Amino acid sequence: MMQLFFKRIGFILLLAIGFATLVSAGSLWLLRQSSFYKPSFLVNDIPEKDFDYIVLGASTGLTTLNTSVIDSVIQTKGINLSMDDTALSSQYLMLEHFLAQGKTTRYCVLAPSAASFDAKDPDISDNDYRFLPYINEAYVFQYFKQYASTRAKLISNSKWLPMLGVSYFNVEVFYPSLFTIIQPKKRNRFDAKGNYTYPIKNNKDAAISEFKAFPVSFSNPYVAKIKALCVANNIELISYFSPIKAKKVIAKTTSFPIINHSDVLKNEAYFYDEIHVNTKGRQMASIHFANVFQSLLK
Amino acid sequence: MLFNSIDFAIFLPIVFIGYWFVFMHSLKGQNILLLVASYVFYGWWDYRFLALIVFSTLVDFWIGNYLKKTTDTSKRKILLYTSVFVNIGLLGFFKYYNFFIDNFTAAFSFFGSDIQPNTLNIILPVGISFYTFQTLSYTIDVYRKKLEPTTDFIAFAAFVSFFPQLVAGPIERATHLLPQFKKKHAFNSKNAIDGLQQILWGLFKKVVIADNCAQFANDIFNNYPAYSSTTLLLGAFYFAFQIYGDFSGYSDIAIGTARLFGFDLMQNFALPYFSRDIAEFWRRWHISLSTWFRDYVYIPLGGSRGTKGNQIRNVFIIFLVSGFWHGANWTFIVWGFLNACYFLPIMLTNKNRVHTNIVAENSVLPSIKEGMQMGFTFFVTMIAWVFFRSENVTHAFLYLKQMGTFSLPFMEKLQLERFAFEIVPLIILLLTIEWFTRKKEHPLKGTKQPILASLILMLLIFVFGSFSKLQEFIYFQF
Repeated sequence: MMQLFFKRIGFILLLAIGFATLVSAGSLWLLRQSSFYKPSFLVNDIPEKDFDYIVLGASTGLTTLNTSVIDSVIQTKGINLSMDDTALSSQYLMLEHFLAQGKTTRYCVLAPSAASFDAKDPDISDNDYRFLPYINEAYVFQYFKQYASTRAKLISNSKWLPMLGVSYFNVEVFYPSLFTIIQPKKRNRFDAKGNYTYPIKNNKDAAISEFKAFPVSFSNPYVAKIKALCVANNIELISYFSPIKAKKVIAKTTSFPIINHSDVLKNEAYFYDEIHVNTKGRQMASIHFANVFQSLLK
Repeated sequence: MLFNSIDFAIFLPIVFIGYWFVFMHSLKGQNILLLVASYVFYGWWDYRFLALIVFSTLVDFWIGNYLKKTTDTSKRKILLYTSVFVNIGLLGFFKYYNFFIDNFTAAFSFFGSDIQPNTLNIILPVGISFYTFQTLSYTIDVYRKKLEPTTDFIAFAAFVSFFPQLVAGPIERATHLLPQFKKKHAFNSKNAIDGLQQILWGLFKKVVIADNCAQFANDIFNNYPAYSSTTLLLGAFYFAFQIYGDFSGYSDIAIGTARLFGFDLMQNFALPYFSRDIAEFWRRWHISLSTWFRDYVYIPLGGSRGTKGNQIRNVFIIFLVSGFWHGANWTFIVWGFLNACYFLPIMLTNKNRVHTNIVAENSVLPSIKEGMQMGFTFFVTMIAWVFFRSENVTHAFLYLKQMGTFSLPFMEKLQLERFAFEIVPLIILLLTIEWFTRKKEHPLKGTKQPILASLILMLLIFVFGSFSKLQEFIYFQF
């Protein structure tokens, strides 16, 4: 009787694992065909091969530099590949992903939060699961494999058992994959050039007169790694500091150019919160950036 | 140890194999294994508090046996009061000490006396409200001569600490559970499969319904001033399903786990959101606690007999005590008070036993009247849940006040940020499954396609379960 019980349970478990694997593989396949997250958007929705510049960053890069505005001001071709809630390590992975598609760029504008340049990145970032559909790519697998956390292990082992990553991140992965059946071209909070903006919450018109110093020394090892990857691919790296409310970045001298616009916006009306600009601030910051960037273009 | 953790997924098969393979011929061995397993299960959280369970077990075991030896009424009463004092004392100290100190201080300050009492940094031992009530039921039943006291200490200790229901119930009666520890169990494949299916159903309710609802309910309740009235209404709706999925899911897993070892636990939830009035709701929600209070508090107080005044007093006592049992916060007391207010008119008009059968017993769908009754009962229950969930009574009132403004926009922030509306189809799925299987103990029981049904449920858990944001069971804190 006991043997029969174990046989039945084993049979049901095997069937469940089989079905779950099929569903997971299908879900990841759907996401690979979609434009929902940045990694697949880059593959499926961006036919251009050569760019003048790309923007890599977290929410600051995503919501500050409007590539449409920059391109219209200085007649360039750029794309914003920033993803919110990501670290420099994720931006390195995005650069690898960009290059793996056979695409090229003259400039790479690195625009994470100022604090990221000196962070440690001991674990994957909250939105790194967006690379899960590409786990079979060696560079993606290696990225997740280097981390010891449970969620990183679940993603890296999804190469063999996709149900691990899909079930753990099912809200973020499975739901959107269902969504893409109906709307394959739907993008998750970014426009056709990869930009997103925060709304104007209030129209508080208050001048910012005092800016506290915020030192940045570029101690995050991923700065050097991104620089090396850029050099190897003939890309010029520029680091960009987006506007921060009442703070001024004091950056250490580096081997690559820095565009420090941390204190360029001097009114609270341009900010959504402490570190993000709103639509009005984005317009101003993008024009400021375009003017400086034009002088760097050879 | 959480039922929805990897630790438990490893622990359970080990105990199962030990129980049915190693100790299959020895009842004593099986009970010792269950006792050790239960202590490991509990100690996994904090081994220091095992001492409390052991102490409570020793006291009630000794009192039970002493009650048998003595016929002297006053001595028997002293023994009963000792048990009540010890168990309620433990509960009172660990759960309510700081609450009473804080409130006495506030009261003295109100009258102008400034006192500086010492509050203590007390950790609430998980499940203390459950096992103290369970051991109390033993002593009271022995005192009432409804139950012969046991001389088998291992069986008694295993009964008190039985791991499937140790930390969040169902609160078993000694008359029902204790004899099962004295009976040899033979493995029954059908029972074990039924147990696994009920565990699966409980996991669905916990991981898919409760934990997904929790993310939104937590966000809305924690930031309620920022949300519109309609979003707050949705927050209360999500919490109603969070607490139902969480607690009834736990009970299903507990009952299913016990069944794997051949034990039968009492039903704790019987589709409470299909109730047509509040009296029916309380016969279907947390049945083991409601019946405990009914048998050991309400009926001894006189129940629904006596003058109208006594009846009203008894109803308020039972609901206020029940509310207070949940936690040392005025929110629970107001929640209990509100439920008493809902219940009172039904009781005073003798309509509290109108709906004793399941709704739409002989039809597929409910009548319009039944539908409206269920909707109304759910709505008033949901309003009461706002007090249960809120941090304090002021927050609850502000939440309800803002909810009552009927302002738009609807779901402004959540709709952008997450896939909030995708939880609603899952709730509809839960209610649909429960509706069409409402005459069964759980939806998979006796199904014609057990393999298919189990597979579908596993896949639903797999694709919709909230694994990255696992939540503790709410009732652990009680």
